[in-house]
Amino acid sequence: MLSVTLTKRFPGFTLDVSWEADDRIVALFGPSGAGKSLTLGCLAGLVRPDAGRVVVNGRTFDDVAGGVHLPPQARRLGYVFQGYALFPHLTVAENVAFGLRDRPRAERRRRAGEVLERLGLGEVAGRRPRELSGGQQQRVALGRALAPDPEVLLLDEPLSALDAPLRRQLRDELGRLIREWGRTVVLVTHDLAEAYQLGERLVVYDAGRVVQAAPKAELLLRPASEAVARLIGMRNIVRGTVVKASPDRIEMVWRGRTVEAVNSPGHPYLAPAGTPVAFFVRPEYARLLRKDRAAPDPAHRMNFLTGSIVGEIDQGTAWTLLFRLDGPGEPSQGAYDLEIEIPKLVYEILDVGRDRQWSVTMHRGALQVLPSG
Amino acid sequence: MDLFPLRLSLQVAVTATALTLLVGLPIAWLLARRRFPGRDLVAALVVFPLVLPPTVLGYYLLVVIGSRGLGALGLELAFTWRAAVLAAALGSIALLIKAAQAGFETVDPRLEQAARTLGRSEWSIFWVVTLPLAWRSVLAGTVLAFCRALGEFGITLMVAGSIPGRTQTLPLAIYDHVQANQMAEANLLALLSIGLVVLLLLGVSRLARLRF
Repeated sequence: MLSVTLTKRFPGFTLDVSWEADDRIVALFGPSGAGKSLTLGCLAGLVRPDAGRVVVNGRTFDDVAGGVHLPPQARRLGYVFQGYALFPHLTVAENVAFGLRDRPRAERRRRAGEVLERLGLGEVAGRRPRELSGGQQQRVALGRALAPDPEVLLLDEPLSALDAPLRRQLRDELGRLIREWGRTVVLVTHDLAEAYQLGERLVVYDAGRVVQAAPKAELLLRPASEAVARLIGMRNIVRGTVVKASPDRIEMVWRGRTVEAVNSPGHPYLAPAGTPVAFFVRPEYARLLRKDRAAPDPAHRMNFLTGSIVGEIDQGTAWTLLFRLDGPGEPSQGAYDLEIEIPKLVYEILDVGRDRQWSVTMHRGALQVLPSG
Repeated sequence: MDLFPLRLSLQVAVTATALTLLVGLPIAWLLARRRFPGRDLVAALVVFPLVLPPTVLGYYLLVVIGSRGLGALGLELAFTWRAAVLAAALGSIALLIKAAQAGFETVDPRLEQAARTLGRSEWSIFWVVTLPLAWRSVLAGTVLAFCRALGEFGITLMVAGSIPGRTQTLPLAIYDHVQANQMAEANLLALLSIGLVVLLLLGVSRLARLRF
């Protein structure tokens, strides 16, 4: 259980955040310079907040009003720094044993050996950090942080120093490790895939503020605002006008057509007719309609659009098609209205390369309204 | 040939260097790592011994340790070899502080932060992280300070005098020999001084290269 309220002012930047999490693994996600690492520094006690309260698993780390500021030494947390900050003058084994100084020598040896073994570092125990690969360095940093058996693990961009192929593999390893570890983890990353795969709850940062905090599935399904949708890289964010909003449906006019979306269960958006509204369409949820099949039954209330493909991008295993709706008016996204993503196999079966005129259906669940901003 | 001045100079320089390390390292660390009120003043005071005339430094040191200063408290320092130690330390401490400060500043502060999150005290962090990573700069500063202490003349003359067999260090002995027109003796002691410093610098640079 984490409860974090922090204010920290610098010339030209203010961190002002408040979030809570019951989940075990929390990912702070957002662009560089949004205040994620600063938050981690405050959690660790390395940065003293100007105001606020930090309570972790029932222990008050900071309470500025109450004059509480626990020094980092007393917080019992493991911190994996961005770039790892390994001690260059110490061996791998000495790095891992660094936080065990208050234990008897035999116990220190045993614990360091156990951690090295578990992380597969036994063979490089006598080497210095600079003689290791990036992946090994990352494991040493993890081992050093975990050896003293902390109650909380803080990870600052744990994978950003690695090359792409290795990164993917280590992301899986790291995910397994922190799930097995079983205690509270706070992870900072600017990579959504990383945040999504490793975190259980996502806290989205932007310019020193939290713009949304939610379980990860909810965040992707229902970003709270257009700003969040853009931060998490949602594509096809377009604007229309409300025609009719009910608690479970919302009907909008977009590019002269009426489209229908599912309203957010829990907190539906009930704006009066004529209100401008932003929404996004999931590119992988739009379907090209096979021409040898009948048009969908109107009773299914599918959104049905006709247009042409004006551009395409080969993504390797999938194609992104740039789709422009028929009819007058400026397309919503420059030269096109929608990005549609289809698997390569579908592209070949439908012969999309030659045939450019298509009808597209989108279930209303593929359209997501973005209430504010 | 009386080698007392050589012996005394070595004794004074070794003691002064130890004193310099004891006082200088904490100051260097503070200047490199802490922001505190009066920091700029301390930083300026530190270079005073480099820029003020030795006689001025010697005069004030004499005031402090003389018959109206520490002398009045029963601490007889003036015109003893201990006064020469203070003089040598005062003349050389700036070199150590500046070198050590620069060394400490090159240590990535995140390493010290990492050590903090791993439960180490500030004291322990200094000995286990900061100093081992800055040891080359500290060693270089120590050697410079030692050589400077070995050659200290002006302040020493003011506070310890040049009493043969008691406070006459190597540089003072050379001066006296020249004054007395004993050029052979002066020449020998001068060559000895050069030899000592050259050996020391060579030895240390060898050592420093050996390690990394």
